[in-house]
Amino acid sequence: MDSRIYVIGRDCAPQFLRLDAGEELSMTLVIPPGTDAGLSMEVDLAGPGARLDLAGVYLCPGAERVDLRVLVRHATGGCSSRQLFKGIVGGTARAAFDGLIYVAPDAQKTEAYQENHTLLLSDTARVETRPQLEIYADDVQCSHGATTGYLNPDELFYLRSRGIPEAEARHLQMQAFLAPVLRRLPAEIAEEIHASLP
Amino acid sequence: MDELIKDLSSAQEYKEGFVTEVDQEYVPKGLNEDIIRLISAKKQEPEWLLDFRLDAFRKWQRMTPPQWGHLKLPRIDFQDIIYWAAPKRDEDRPDTIDPALMETFDKLGIPLREREVLAGVKPKGEVAVDAVFDSVSVTTTFRKTLAEQGIIFCSFSEAVREHPDLVRRHLASVVPVGDNFYAALNSAVFSDGSFCYIPKGVKCPMDLSSYFRINASGTGQFERTLIIADEGSQVSYMEGCTAPMRDENQLHAAVVEIIVEKDADVKYSTVQNWYPGDAQGRGGILNLVTKRGICKGSGSHLSWTQVETGSAITWKYPSTILKGDYSSSEFYSVAMTNNYQQADTGTKMIHLGRGTRSRVVSKGISAGHSENSYRGLVQMGPAAEGARNYSQCDSLLIGSSCGAHTFPVIRSQNPHAVVEHEATTSKISEDQLFYCTQRGIAPEDAVALIVGGYAREVLSRLPMEFAVEAQKLLSVSLEGAVG
Repeated sequence: MDSRIYVIGRDCAPQFLRLDAGEELSMTLVIPPGTDAGLSMEVDLAGPGARLDLAGVYLCPGAERVDLRVLVRHATGGCSSRQLFKGIVGGTARAAFDGLIYVAPDAQKTEAYQENHTLLLSDTARVETRPQLEIYADDVQCSHGATTGYLNPDELFYLRSRGIPEAEARHLQMQAFLAPVLRRLPAEIAEEIHASLP
Repeated sequence: MDELIKDLSSAQEYKEGFVTEVDQEYVPKGLNEDIIRLISAKKQEPEWLLDFRLDAFRKWQRMTPPQWGHLKLPRIDFQDIIYWAAPKRDEDRPDTIDPALMETFDKLGIPLREREVLAGVKPKGEVAVDAVFDSVSVTTTFRKTLAEQGIIFCSFSEAVREHPDLVRRHLASVVPVGDNFYAALNSAVFSDGSFCYIPKGVKCPMDLSSYFRINASGTGQFERTLIIADEGSQVSYMEGCTAPMRDENQLHAAVVEIIVEKDADVKYSTVQNWYPGDAQGRGGILNLVTKRGICKGSGSHLSWTQVETGSAITWKYPSTILKGDYSSSEFYSVAMTNNYQQADTGTKMIHLGRGTRSRVVSKGISAGHSENSYRGLVQMGPAAEGARNYSQCDSLLIGSSCGAHTFPVIRSQNPHAVVEHEATTSKISEDQLFYCTQRGIAPEDAVALIVGGYAREVLSRLPMEFAVEAQKLLSVSLEGAVG
């Protein structure tokens, strides 16, 4: 499978992608701390059997402004797409995620999934999530899930009661939260992300 | 399965589609300040209410209809609507109800005589009914019984006359006049509706219910409902509605406001069965309503349950503002669309108070060429420490020409609040159908059975007599979609 990684602010991520019959693409977007980003991306699944595996991580511990818009369009049937976006937002940052799965009429046997999870770290941060489904075919499996929450205090207590200092324990929690996306990245980028956690 | 899902040809049964022949009086067609003054004069309203209406009208004139709904709304000519229509009072018998109206509500299964029960099953308790016919309330039953406990349940016009202080204090306190285009229109021209006040600590001994009937042609219905539940009180409120079959679209723009004080508990249930239009999408009611409640005091609770099967177009978002600490709210919805119906419905849960909780369960069913959308907002304010929301939106598609959509918005400003949302879309699987048909259940019955099971989580929240009605409605609405 074609696999691409884009670090926003360093690499130029495509705005529009088209996957033809049988094409498979795995893509990971990384928005490191200190990056303001207004990113919109559109992926067309235009031929049967096309597969998209899209993931993203955004870290906004300071005063970042991140606005992510993703449109996955299933133009023909028999395609599958999977999206996973994870964000950590603190400080006075604002992060918005707007993801739409569009399934065209007669795009039967479509499989489309989308997940967006955010951790909110401070009183002054703001998060907005708009996961959307627009579906015009009946023989499909589509779902999305979205959550916003905070670091679980019970987990923190567990770690601290075993002698792990608070800051480190919080880092571990965040690493665990981000792990499903981070493990797609090469070691050096993942290390960089770990080091930059608030 | 493919042969089962064929396009809809059979005429859908809408047994409430008859017209009642009664003498009616109307105000002239159109909308301007004179019409509003005329409506206000007909209802013998006090000065402050006329001013309220005129203020709303002036605001409305500067507003434009909202475009964000996933709907193809026909252009509405607001000057081509009669804003007030009422059956004429018989001069000889001013205190009794016209037998023709009595018969109408009898036919609809709504008991206007006390000691009778809703059609279908015999419920344990009685139900007090406020019956609204076009622009006026025909009667309100069980008023005496309720008054013994200090409960006020009457038509809105009566409340204005007899309890002006209560009305004035709470009117437009939840849905401000300029909230949206249709709410402003309603505030300017609202006719009748229900008013309900439950005093401190009183548990309402019976279910209260409003029944709205559109009869006259060329009119719109603009009812206004205000429910106030004082500290520690409890009430279950139901709302039903039907209209005749006509080739024209008729506008229904209502506003419902609910105020829930400390530790009070309000349950609001709706079975919406306005005329949905015919199989080709002609006619039907445009149902553009604003419903909102506020959980004002701590520990208060508001629960919305809706079954939406009718209307050509539904634009409706019963919402709750969770202001009191540890208050909670629920929204349970089944929205069913068939033929060319369009529905854009959902809820808003606005968490302001600490430890507030909300739960949203929405089940959409689309068939034929219909469009069915869930649209929702969950907002966690800066003070909503420890607040929690869980939303679940499922869509079921029957046939390949319909659409099902989900448009939720989650906004969080609090690092100690949790929001969870999930949505799925699917169709009735071949396996489920096969299982039923090989046991001798006809395909149509099998679909009704599966849909019933799918919607059960919501239907089970309805008061019993309503649940039976709703179950029947779902199977009627499905008719022609399968088989």
